Amino acid sequence: MPASNPMASAREILPPPAPGLDFAAGFGHPQSCAVRAGGLIFCSGMLAINPQTGEREHGTVTSETRRIFENLKLLLETAGSSLERIVQVHALIYDRVEYDVLNRVYRQYVPNAPPCRTVWSVQIEAGLKVQFDVIAAA
Amino acid sequence: MTAKRQAITPADAKLDIPKTFALPYATGVKACEFIFLSGMIAVDPSTGERAHGSVVDETTLILRAMATVLEASGSSLAKVVKTTVWLHSMLELEDLDRAYQPFFASAPPARTVCGARINNGMKVQIDCIALA
Repeated sequence: MPASNPMASAREILPPPAPGLDFAAGFGHPQSCAVRAGGLIFCSGMLAINPQTGEREHGTVTSETRRIFENLKLLLETAGSSLERIVQVHALIYDRVEYDVLNRVYRQYVPNAPPCRTVWSVQIEAGLKVQFDVIAAA
Repeated sequence: MTAKRQAITPADAKLDIPKTFALPYATGVKACEFIFLSGMIAVDPSTGERAHGSVVDETTLILRAMATVLEASGSSLAKVVKTTVWLHSMLELEDLDRAYQPFFASAPPARTVCGARINNGMKVQIDCIALA
């Protein structure tokens, strides 16, 4: 097996599109906001964080989902992609009971040809209720 | 055109978690420009058995094994684009970060961490997507 593939594309760290979305600076987490490689954009788990101040915006599933989609829109559009180009979403919610609440707000942001999605319920950082893990076409 | 899809099998059988535990999944799959690794748990590199430990211990074992598996396939931790971490309790997020950071000291990959129950009482599970 060749040690390196001459066709391999670069791995490009995308800078945070706003100061509040710099997870390394804001929360000390060893992670980049997003990475572009092989024609795709891999986003770090996106939370309801104010993109300017970096403060967490604890709210309802609806309000947190809205903020997450706004942050993803900012991140993806800054990188030349868009919400329409999302390929896959892992939607993490704090309680499966709110599945329908998630769906009602979610469909407003991806009204046509929505991406693949898997939902599961977990403990989310700092008591937030929603986190989206997104892969988009670059 | 159909893209190739190739299983990644660790040269060191002790790191082949699905083989050790007879589980129906691949350690990894290479397709297009990417290598996708299944969720890895901490195993003792000398026996292949589960290595229950602290979050720091388990994270360190997992990322060492991940580096070995990726390097044997022509990739490396430096080519990882995304990781997903399942942690037994989000109260230990700081412990995770402390063990995780040295493996990705510069230009770290995108990451999602969530708190979940993991099979067999392990404390950490990590999967990844890397450039091949």
